[in-house]
Amino acid sequence: MTRTPIDRRQALRWLGGAGAASLLAACGGRAPEASAGTGNTASRGARVVVIGGGFGGATAARYLKRLDPGLHVTLLEPAERFYTCPFTNLYLGGLREFESLGHDYQQLRRLGVNVVHALAEDVDPVGHSVTLAGGERLPYDRLILSPGIDIRWDALEGYDRAAAELAPHAWKAGAQTHRLKRQLEAMEDGGTFVLVAPANPFRCPPGPYERVSQIAHYFKTHKPRSKILLLDAKDAFSKQGLFMDGWRELYGDMIEWVGLSGDGRVVRVDADRLEVETEFGTLHRADVLNVVPPQRAGFIAERAGVTDASGWVPVNPRDFSSAQVEDVYVIGDATEAAPMPKSGFCANAQGKVVAFAAAASLAGDPAPEPVWANTCYSVIGPDYGITVAGVYRVIDGQIAEVPGSGGVSPRGADAGFRRREARYAAAWYQAICEDTWGTVV
Amino acid sequence: MKHLRREQALTAVTRERFVLTRTVIVALLAGVALLALFGPADAAAAERPWQRLPAASALLDGAQPTVTGLTLELPLVSDDGAAVALTVAADRPVDVIHLFATRNPAPEIAVFRFLDAQVHPRVATRVRLNESQQVIALARTADGHWLATSREIRITVSGCLARADAPGADAEMTPRVRAPSRLGRGETAELLAMITHPMETGLREAADGTRVTRRLVSRFELSLADTPLFKAELYAAVSANPFLRLQWAPTTPGELQLRWVEDGGREALDRSDITLR
Repeated sequence: MTRTPIDRRQALRWLGGAGAASLLAACGGRAPEASAGTGNTASRGARVVVIGGGFGGATAARYLKRLDPGLHVTLLEPAERFYTCPFTNLYLGGLREFESLGHDYQQLRRLGVNVVHALAEDVDPVGHSVTLAGGERLPYDRLILSPGIDIRWDALEGYDRAAAELAPHAWKAGAQTHRLKRQLEAMEDGGTFVLVAPANPFRCPPGPYERVSQIAHYFKTHKPRSKILLLDAKDAFSKQGLFMDGWRELYGDMIEWVGLSGDGRVVRVDADRLEVETEFGTLHRADVLNVVPPQRAGFIAERAGVTDASGWVPVNPRDFSSAQVEDVYVIGDATEAAPMPKSGFCANAQGKVVAFAAAASLAGDPAPEPVWANTCYSVIGPDYGITVAGVYRVIDGQIAEVPGSGGVSPRGADAGFRRREARYAAAWYQAICEDTWGTVV
Repeated sequence: MKHLRREQALTAVTRERFVLTRTVIVALLAGVALLALFGPADAAAAERPWQRLPAASALLDGAQPTVTGLTLELPLVSDDGAAVALTVAADRPVDVIHLFATRNPAPEIAVFRFLDAQVHPRVATRVRLNESQQVIALARTADGHWLATSREIRITVSGCLARADAPGADAEMTPRVRAPSRLGRGETAELLAMITHPMETGLREAADGTRVTRRLVSRFELSLADTPLFKAELYAAVSANPFLRLQWAPTTPGELQLRWVEDGGREALDRSDITLR
């Protein structure tokens, strides 16, 4: 037997997640019976290019390099400092500094990952190369795409790039988030904040509901006469009962939710007037308007030929390899991985599964049997957290939630329970960022 | 789904045995498609989902439907089987469109009857799909010819999308309508209709374990100036708060009437005036 660069116990420890190990050991993506054959000399010197340095891509690059230090792993990410979407709502609510959501790539470099801050502009899946915005070509043996989402600018009448300057989406962390925060701060007490929520699927299913919770917290502490209207293209949403209980308990009747059957589906945006029109012709005017628009996989996925007619990426469930293009793996929000939600936690779990699968494939071995897990924490108020969790496996050839796994926080739990879950949320963020970027918040 | 699996299987085979460019793979896939087209006629017919579903084949009664001219728009994958957006459209005038869900507890979704040329054969609605399955549409033209189409859809129920309790019954049977009150003669416009109703399937259990009685808005009728334009028969597979989006081009002014009838006889009526330029 050849000597492997890591032993199984070590691998499990990493997969369990550094830091708050107890949390991630229960929930992280892991491949318990993994024998990825990473010592096989066939994989020596193989080139893996990872596009996207978020939860999925950074995790994949980091775990690949740990599994097999002999691999040449290049991570392409335009931003030198990556700001996470998770917890931007807490920044909007005033519970968190924006800088605390930023992560750099020092630890990945220290591991030997070649981090290149450049935009990947094109993929040649036949010639096995990636073209950077500067024209440079990077050859690969295996390509891992973690491209996140792009906004579908043509999907909602009146909502284009110019409109997003006036009515931000703030669904990618950065300038859009700051714009929304400034608008909320400039709004007078007694104003109306309107959030437009899209139909499924979209990034972070509980995100719009956590966002209005956090903005309600900001209003309650700074502008208590203000109102929040949530116009939704759905009749049901993630953790609905828990959110609505929390809204009533903490914010009284400040938040009004209008679902699909109450004419909540917005069909037109007039960003100049901060006005939206619903399906049945009701006009709503906002003082601050936040439109979470329809989305699709990040553009590089389309360039690589891995997207289907839906704009998202179909993958082979067992190893998240593209269902359409050879030697390409796709992870994170861009994929059709339902019932796994489009969450940072899932992207991280998929990143680990893909690291094992790509390493095994390069060594000529089959991919190990995957297990994924997810927890979505939502922080409704400073001392009020709720969760949904799930464990996923491949069952009958498709990704499925393991029967009896996971679940949501109990309805009617006491204040201590909610306070502890708010603390766990902060611990979760710290642990998953450490696991993904090696950064300590 | 069958087709998708075939593509995947083929890709897997090529991955093991050959190094092929995408062009070659595409050519191979095209070959598979050609085989399907020109394969033995009996075998191809036996594959058709409307031949396999008794409710659909009974309607056809041995007729061979045309497989072009009728389109069914559905998402490839839906995270929420409780309300899946569906649009069915024919490229020629038809008298009736039937919709079926092959793997629901009961296959019937809805029947749309086009009684007047002022309503075009294009209807959008929201449906319940119990699991991944084929959805079938059959349409019959005035001369008795049938059109057929089907679509495969994958339904997943995300753990992040748990449903809450149904809202209260106080606002049931409240209609909501969007129709342009004034438009050009023969100008095509949209007509939207929705009514608040739980569409109880009779399969659901209440919190106390008892079965909730089946109760549906089972009929919808549209008329303009006393001329019936469109009728729909709705089954348990139509989502709660039945929604219909029609395309119409009114040619006579007058009172627009929309009527919903619950299977117990309860009715709701919406009236408005349509003027034409």
